[in-house]
Order: sequence, then structure tokens, then C-alpha cells
Amino acid sequence: MTEITQVLQAMGRGDSGASEKLLPLVYDELRRHAAARMAQEAAGQTLQPTALVHEAWLRIVGNGDRTWQNRAHFFGAAAEAMRRILIENARRKFRLKRGGHQVRLDIEQLELAATTPDEKILLIDEALERLQAEDPEKARVVVLKFFGGYTNQEVAENIGVTERTVERHWAYAKAWLFQMIRAQK
Amino acid sequence: MNAATQREEDLFDAARKLAGSAERGAFLDRACAGDPALRAKIEGLLAAGADAEQFFTEGSSALRFPGLSLQSSRGTPASAGAIRASLLGEEPVGTRIGRYKLLQKIGEGGWGVVYMAEQEEPVRRRVALKIIKLGMETKSVIGRFEAERQALAMMDHPNIARVFDAGATERGSPYFVMELIRGVKITEYCDQNRLDTRQRLDLFIQICHAIQHAHQKGIIHGDIKPSNLMVTVQDGVPVPKVIDFGISKATEARLTDELLFTAYAQLIGTPAYMSPEQAEMSGLDTDTRSDIYSLGVVLYELLTGKTPFDAKALIGSGLDEMRRTLREREPPRPSIRLNTLERPDLAKTAESRQAEPARLIALLHGDLDWIVMKALEKDRTRRYETANGLALDIQRHLNNEPVMARPPSRMYRLQKLARRNRVVFAAAGAVAAALVIGMGTSTWLFLKEREARHRAVAAEQQEARLRHNAEVREKITQAALLVSQERFDGADDLLKALSLTQPTVEGAAVFRALGEWHALHNRWREAADRFAVLLRINQLDGVDVATLDYLELGPPLIELGDTDGYEHFRQEAIARFVATPCPFADRIVKISLLLPANKRLIEALAPVAEATAQSLTEADADGDAFKAAWRAVSLALFEYRRGNYTKAAEWCRRCLAYPEYNAPRTATARVILAMACRQLGRVDEAYSELGGGREIIENKYKSWADRGTPVQGFWFDWGLARILLREATTLIETAPRPQ
Repeated sequence: MTEITQVLQAMGRGDSGASEKLLPLVYDELRRHAAARMAQEAAGQTLQPTALVHEAWLRIVGNGDRTWQNRAHFFGAAAEAMRRILIENARRKFRLKRGGHQVRLDIEQLELAATTPDEKILLIDEALERLQAEDPEKARVVVLKFFGGYTNQEVAENIGVTERTVERHWAYAKAWLFQMIRAQK
Repeated sequence: MNAATQREEDLFDAARKLAGSAERGAFLDRACAGDPALRAKIEGLLAAGADAEQFFTEGSSALRFPGLSLQSSRGTPASAGAIRASLLGEEPVGTRIGRYKLLQKIGEGGWGVVYMAEQEEPVRRRVALKIIKLGMETKSVIGRFEAERQALAMMDHPNIARVFDAGATERGSPYFVMELIRGVKITEYCDQNRLDTRQRLDLFIQICHAIQHAHQKGIIHGDIKPSNLMVTVQDGVPVPKVIDFGISKATEARLTDELLFTAYAQLIGTPAYMSPEQAEMSGLDTDTRSDIYSLGVVLYELLTGKTPFDAKALIGSGLDEMRRTLREREPPRPSIRLNTLERPDLAKTAESRQAEPARLIALLHGDLDWIVMKALEKDRTRRYETANGLALDIQRHLNNEPVMARPPSRMYRLQKLARRNRVVFAAAGAVAAALVIGMGTSTWLFLKEREARHRAVAAEQQEARLRHNAEVREKITQAALLVSQERFDGADDLLKALSLTQPTVEGAAVFRALGEWHALHNRWREAADRFAVLLRINQLDGVDVATLDYLELGPPLIELGDTDGYEHFRQEAIARFVATPCPFADRIVKISLLLPANKRLIEALAPVAEATAQSLTEADADGDAFKAAWRAVSLALFEYRRGNYTKAAEWCRRCLAYPEYNAPRTATARVILAMACRQLGRVDEAYSELGGGREIIENKYKSWADRGTPVQGFWFDWGLARILLREATTLIETAPRPQ
């Protein structure tokens, strides 16, 4: 059992000191995912994966009532948290742009090819909810890879399948999601 | 996943790998024979595939976080490695960064990597180039550093390594270029060369002067520890050099970040040198006195070979426990620390200081113990005001002069207890606020980073303020020295126009001494002004228990004839103590009634008088005649002022009946008794008591010299008696004698 899993289980037993031990253990990895998600391409730009990590940390541990069985479960939750943060950000920008109080996308009004990246993200996220219901494992691959910045290898470790399977799931899920998005038009 | 979707995925996966549409068609013909719905589904997916790829790629460019403007790239293992390297600040040797070429990696710490580098123009020289770990807002770090560049450039001191330049690498990591120091840590240097205590103190004094130089320019080091205090040998003479000045402040966000996360794992030694207020990480609130604390830790280590608290134990105990230790636990004094070492350890420590163990302990016992402990005070107002002050005190010790650091008095320890309890309450509040463990620190960090930019703006103002404070402290230290040499006029000149905004014990002592000096020379205006500052300093401190200082200001105001000033003073004194339980309520009663008072003031004072009566009973029960008798005087004055002359006379007689004699108190009691008798029409008695009181007082003022002591009476005890004597004389001798 890894040290992380031990700490997680201690937290599950209500050991309040445990979550303080957790952060140093998981911080590097969380930040690596955040950095991968947001790695800079142009030189001289600033990047701030730290902010994303902190925000994600608040959401996963901040509730206090969550328990995790093991390290995979925890990092899965972390990727899910990052997804929610990024989606909220996209939604906020979308709202700002549309200048209204619109909370959800009205897909009827969108020309798919002309959607902004933010709108695409929101569409993907909505379709992902449906995939989640039909095929949770593939949905998880999407969350980890797309929103969490995980490598195929990391996803494979996290959900306990081979890298080959991850690759297959990812290709299928992308096609499935896009079809779903397009079908709504 | 059910069997049907599994089959769909299998078919999709097989088909998408086939190159041509003809082959795919043939494949699907075979695979979906008899199931046109399945075939349509797979074809749909395949058709979606290419567009999906583009859709996801475009979408992923929106996965940015507020404040970021960068594209995302999926984390392949290779790029994860590159990110890791850049997070650590690693660059390959030979890389050119700006005008500098990296020659050799010479160090690595929790915060990044240090290289020896070569600068080619405008001058060719070797420099140290420190690359900071990525993971913080580079621009704001550089921005903050830029704000400090001017000040850093102004620093020109033989014991401070210059900071030449700063910038950001191509990957965006901030770097600093500094004078290359070829030396070893001060602690290592001292041990390797078996420097004795005196030699160690000499080196340390030079470091204090370097820090003082920076403080006067408004620059805090913020990370003083042996690895930032290098010793190089120039012409056979060891020269200490302080490195990394200003960097810790510029990279403040990084420090806290690192402390929280990496320091935990890496067991770097920083927390051992960290002041309690730094450990609290209230960030904005550290000032030059935090450096004084760290200097105290270094001095402790130079003398004993150990830090006051063990670094590993501090880190191992967890963040909250570490803070509590730094905030509350008193470390053992250096001599005691040595005494509790294991024998071989002690022998080794002594040997590297060229002393016998017993000699070394004796050497530290006393002055050096107190000097170190004064620098290590939890409450920064009780530390040395300046690095110079610390150096001066060590110099005094080396010169066999009395040092300013003294063992704390009992009263002082009591105050500290109250203070500690206050901290406990504050800590309880903080815990409640951070109910969810981990949440508190992370939220705080997050907010802190967002505010980094605002702070860069505030930094400049802050710096000016710090410079001002450093000047103030410097003046106070000088003044304290002058006062200790009884050169009051010089000290007074120095502090005349000083405005204080921070509590300072050393400052309070100086202003008290100066006020008394003026008072003893009947310069009442100056005395009143100094004492007024003294009271303000006490109030800044929050725990305004120094009731004795109120007794200082009352008499000068009366002597000046400043009745408005006195009125204001006594109302403030009453307001301040009426709701606060205070063991010396009697002093407030007494000092508030030097002049007759109206009904409202008497009423306001009633609870304080009540407390006085209570404390008199307690003093009686303890058999403490000294206190009991003083309290009786205060109650006598209170009853006299409210017109209860019989009661007043009773309290006076009770005071005089105590076996313990105190000249000014006895005189005061007799004078009040005289007035009470006069009001009751007992004129002969009034004359006799007045005469008795006057004799004592006039005798004293024939040979008036010093501040006095509690036993002989303080100057203000006498001043108070004399003021009441004047009132009694007018009442009894100039008023028409009743027939």
C-alpha cells in the first residue's frame, strides 16, 4: 500500500491531521498534471499551474466529507475537480462574451464550425455527461486525459487497464462525443 | 460496459486503422453482416473521427486558467520531464542565459539551482547565477525584484554580496545574478578553523553591521541562515559575506509555497532560523526585527553548535505544531543547552571552540545567554531594536561593560503570561476559521498569489516605511546607549522629534528615563511631553499594564498648570482602566484626583475605587502592609474628593497605622488627613497634621537628587505629596479660620 493510500485511509477514519500530511505527498503530482494541462508554448509567457492546483485542492479536500480508497481514486477526483474549474472558467468567459445571463449553451443557435474554443469545451463537457451515463470507464479516460492532463500511461495506471485500451477508449470516446454534439444540431 | 458497446468499440478500433474507405467498407460488410443498424453506427463514428480530432484540439486551447494565455499541450512523458526540469530550475551547463554562460552547477536548494556563470560584457567576470524554481508568477516576482533593484544597488558594503542583475530564462524561470563568493558557511568555517568564542563573536559582529547597513536602506534579508552567511579568506583574514539579500522578499510567494510543500519533504533547514512571525506567514507583517531573530538563532548556533530548535523536529512535527513551538516554546539558554548535551557531543563542541567544556559553559552563562535570548524574544518589541544594538551589546560584553540585555524581571514575566494567553485565544480563532484542515493554508495561498500584483505596488510604500522604522530604531538604540552613560541631553536631542508607531520596550525605557531627567530638573513641559510619548508607546503595546507610568505624567501636568491637559489625561486614564481588571487600580484613583473632581468624574472612577478597596482587603490578607497602606491612601483621597471627610480621615488613620513606614506615603496621608480635619472643623488637628506632612516633604526637597526607589519613594510619589501639600496649605492657612 502506498503512503498516499495510507494517508487517505487515515482521513477516511476521521484522522483530522491526515489531510495535512496528504498535500505534500500529492502536490508534486498534482502540479505536474496541471502543468501538463497548461504547459506553455511561447517563450517568455508566464504560467501558473500552481493556481489551478490550489483551486483543485480546495475542491477535493476542502469539502472535508470526502473519502478516497486509494491513490487512483484520489487523483481521479483531482482530475474531475480540474475539469469543473476549467469548465466554469470557459462558461464564465462564454457568458461574458454573450453579455447575458445565459447559463447553458443554446445549441440551436450555434454553428458548430464557428464555435469558439470555449463553446467547444462546454459542448464537450455536456456530451461527456451523457457518455458518463452510458460508459463510465470511457468518460473517465476523457476526464483524466483531456481535463486532467494525464499521459496514456498515467491513465492506464489510474484505471487499471493497458495503455492500448486507453488509446482505444480515447479514440472511440472522441468520435462518440463529437457525433453526439453534432447530432444535437 | 455491455457487450454491445464493447463490440462497437472493437469494430470501430479495427476499422479506423484500415487505410482506404474501400477496405473499411469490405471490413464492415463482413463484420456487420445482417446488422445494418450496427454498421450505420460504426460508419457514423468513423465519419465523426476526423472532425472530432480537430474539434477536440481546438477546444483544448480553451482549457486555460484565469490569467493565463497559453495553449495546452498534452503531457507526453517527454514533455512532463521537461516541465519537471523547468520547475526545478535546471538548465544544462553551457546554456547561455542573457549575458551569462553557465559554467558549472555549484549548489541546489529547495528553491532552485545555483550555477557559476561567466559574464562577458560589459566586464568579463565570474558570477553566481541562481535560477528560481518555476511555479510562481514570474512576472510579479521579477516586478517585485525590479522594485527593489534601486535599493539593492544602493547597498555597498564589504560584507554583503552584491546583486547585479535579474531576469527570466526562456522557460520563464526567474534568475538572479550575484557576486560569486568562494567561501564556506560561517558555521563550518568556525568549526573547521576551531575559532574560539571571541573570534566567533568578532565575525558575528561584522555580520550584524552588514545587516544594519541593509536595514537602513529599507531592505530586509528575510532568510538569514548559515548557508547565506559565507566566510571567504582575503589576505589571510576571514571576511564574512551575506548573500541573497533582497531575494527572499522578491520571491516571497515562492518561499511560503515552498515552505508548505517542498520543505516538508526535503527537510531543508530554514524553519530553524525562522522568526515566529515569519512562521505565522502573515507575509506582510515581517520587518527588520525578524532578521534580528534569525541573527539570534545564528549566534546561538555559533556559540553552542545547535539551533534553539532542532530543524528536523520542527519540520517533523507538522506545520501547526511548528508554528506553536516557534510562537510559544522558550528554547533553553545557550549555557543550559550545552549543559544538557551528551558528554562526547559537549566535548566536541568545546574542542572546536578551543575551550574546556566547563569553561565554555561558564563563558556563555550570564551576558551571552541574555544577549542571545533578547535577540530570540518571541515578541519582537522585546528584541534588540537594531542589528547594531545587538552588535553593540556583544561589544560591551567583550569590553566587560554591562550589557543592556538583562534577565527578565518577575513583572515582565507576568506580562508575558498574559500575552501568551492572548496568543492562545487568537490561535483558537484561527483554528475555527480554518476548520477544514488544509483548507486554511491553501485558500490563503491561493488568495495570496492573486494579490501578488497588488503587493508589488504596495512594496514601494512598504519599503519607505521600513526605512523610516529602521531609522527610528537606530535612534532609539543610540539614545538607549547615551542614557546608560547618563548623557541625557544627547539622547533627548536624538529623540525630540521622533514619532513612534510601533511598540518598543527599549523605546519606552528611554522615554521614561528622559521624562524623569527633565522632571528632576523641573522642566515640566519637556517632562510631560516625554511621558506622553511613553504612555502612547505603552498603548501601542496593547497590554497597558504599566500603571506606574501613569503616575509619571500626572505631576508634570499639574506643575505646568496645564489643567486642560490634566483633565484630558485623567479622563483617558479612567476610561482605560474602568473596565479592565488591574492589580494597581489604586494608582489610577490616586493619579486621577490630584485636583478636585466633579461629580461625573467621581462616579466614573467609582468602579476603580471599588477595585482598590478589594485589592486592599487582599493585601491585608497577604500581610502585605506596603501595598495595603498605599491603597488606603488612594481610598482616603477618593473619599475626600467626594466629600466624605469622616471616611477620608478614617482611611488616613488606617494608612498611618500600618507598621511599615514609607516617607512620601506617610506625608501624603497626613496632608489628606489635615484637609479632612479642616473640612470637619477640627482646625487644631488640621494644623498639626499639615505641619507633620510638610516637615517630611520639605526635608526631602532639600536634598533632591534621583528617581528614587519603591522604598524611599519614587520622584512622583514625592511630587504627588507636594502637590497635595500646596492644596492643603491654601485650604488651611489662607482660608479664614472658622470661629
